[in-house]
Amino acid sequence: MTGTIRVAIAEDSAILRDGLVQLLVDRGFVVTDAVSDAAALRRSVEQDCPDVAVVDIRMPPTFTDEGLRAAIDLRRRHRGLGILLFSQYVETRYAAQLLADDAAGIGYLLKDRVADVSDFVEALRRVASGGTALDPEVVTQLLGASRRTDSMSVLSTREKEVLSLMAEGRSNAAIASALVVSEGAVEKHVANIFTKLALPVSQSDHRRVLAVLRFLDS
Amino acid sequence: MSGSNPPAIVVSDDLKTWARGITRTVLRTPFTRRTWSELWFFGVGAVVAALGFAFVGLTMVAGVALAVTFFGLALIGLSLRGARRIGRMQRWLARRLIGEAIEEPDPFAGRAGFLGWLQSTLRDRTAWRAVAYVVVKVPLTLAGILVAFSVWFDAFTCLLTPFSGSDQPAVFGLPRVFVPSGVLRPFRGGPHGLEIFLTGVVLFFIAPWAVRVVISVDRLLMRALLTPDPVTVRVRSLEHARAQTVDASAATLRRIERDLHDGTQAQLVALAMRLGMAKEKLEDTDNVDLDQVRELVNSAHRSAKETIVELRDLARGIHPPALDTGLEGALATLAARNTIPTGLTVSLSDRPTPAIEAIAYFCVAELLANVAQHANASQASISCAQHGRWLRLVVRDDGVGGAQPSDVGSSSSGLSGLTDRVHAVDGRLDVVSPLRGPTVVTVDLPMHA
Repeated sequence: MTGTIRVAIAEDSAILRDGLVQLLVDRGFVVTDAVSDAAALRRSVEQDCPDVAVVDIRMPPTFTDEGLRAAIDLRRRHRGLGILLFSQYVETRYAAQLLADDAAGIGYLLKDRVADVSDFVEALRRVASGGTALDPEVVTQLLGASRRTDSMSVLSTREKEVLSLMAEGRSNAAIASALVVSEGAVEKHVANIFTKLALPVSQSDHRRVLAVLRFLDS
Repeated sequence: MSGSNPPAIVVSDDLKTWARGITRTVLRTPFTRRTWSELWFFGVGAVVAALGFAFVGLTMVAGVALAVTFFGLALIGLSLRGARRIGRMQRWLARRLIGEAIEEPDPFAGRAGFLGWLQSTLRDRTAWRAVAYVVVKVPLTLAGILVAFSVWFDAFTCLLTPFSGSDQPAVFGLPRVFVPSGVLRPFRGGPHGLEIFLTGVVLFFIAPWAVRVVISVDRLLMRALLTPDPVTVRVRSLEHARAQTVDASAATLRRIERDLHDGTQAQLVALAMRLGMAKEKLEDTDNVDLDQVRELVNSAHRSAKETIVELRDLARGIHPPALDTGLEGALATLAARNTIPTGLTVSLSDRPTPAIEAIAYFCVAELLANVAQHANASQASISCAQHGRWLRLVVRDDGVGGAQPSDVGSSSSGLSGLTDRVHAVDGRLDVVSPLRGPTVVTVDLPMHA
């Protein structure tokens, strides 16, 4: 993605909203708007057409899942709008709902992740450019809840690590740097995983995520 | 001595008025709608009592005789179901004819299957109490016929005898005992007929009262035996209180979660984010913008301190630490923290149980908050005193008044929320708040819940 990334923020906690604005501006993003509820987010996206929206799931008035519903709705109206859901809890159900048709440009992170500023910024860039960013916690839950544990037992420990990072939406390069191995080694692991689990091989990162998630969910 | 005369006149005036009132009432009563409704109620009630007793008695006796077989038990069940219906009919009659509104018990709830039906029928306390009513109603009805209905009957007999060609009134019941027998001796068209006629007139004016006495006894009987069973009522009120307590504690947990989520957690995330930014800026050793880092650390520091305050308030809302040393100290803290001058008197010889202390504390806290928000008062007072096994809290203010249990605060935190909390331990909360004040809220709590 060239040029600056334009971000809209919907977060009802004022202190966190201000912090996010400060952080993103500091990291060279353009914040088009920072609002506190879903209705304002809809208006804001309509007007400013940002590249990506950071959306808190629980917002007024009902404090349940209005952020998620707004996100699903916005995705339908604005193709190409990246959505980074931002929540204090991991609800695997939410991830499944959001990823139902396409994982391109979708992120779902725990709020704690902003503490690791660079990782957070990286995830946001990935989502803005059509990639995927799933919280490790979400991936752990998906792996834990999966009924495919028997077929996963064929994977080596290293391959399982790669699978988790892959499910988070990371590229081979990112996986390589996270595991401190060469990119070639990662490619080999990925190929092995796809063969062992009999998954369709795919080039783009987010299609890869979808394949893995469908496998886990089936 | 002129001063002693007027009172004497007043008294005699009073007496006159009183006597006039009595006379008017006695003369009017036989012609009121109430009198005839009561007579009608007595008559219909007697028929219902006779039929009901016949049914319940026969089925019950047969049922008990055959109790070793299922058929016998089924008969007893049938008897009980019938008694319940008789009770309902009796309540309907009482409501329609004599305006006695007796609360309807819960409808019968039989369990599935014949055995379930039988079991719940045999355990139906409402039905057993109705059986008791049907049984006791029989002697009451017989007594009623002798002492009340007979008066009406004899009144008409005496009134009609002089015109009917018979020479002696055929009286029965109470009048036969009380009317001098000389009056009722046979006559043949002589002036003696007038005596009998006048006796009829007197009886005519007495009769409504005799019926009324009998019906009063029946009212008491119905209130005792045809109302909802006290045990069932108690169970229902306990169930209600329990449901409210469960709801209230769920609401409390939700509020705490919300406070943690929106307050503390968000604060900590922002704090971690600022520290994360500062950390990354410091890692870039060649080119550290110290001012920026200082600003980040400063705001993180501020955020940490705010979080501590928020957590302390939150913890105090869950359990006030001041209560650990006893209610008196905790109330003193509340009084001192209140924005308007607040006096406090405490006289406790025992310590209430912790649950009661907590309820008392939160009641006073909420009431003082209401005073500060709504009452526009210049001073308030709290009194907390032990009366035997009860703890009485009184919160008083000199404000504008007009507080209603329903309209102060929201349902979860306002007066109605307090009422629920107090009812859950069988306590009472009374609000006296006339317009222009003063407002006095009295809370009675058992010392030991």
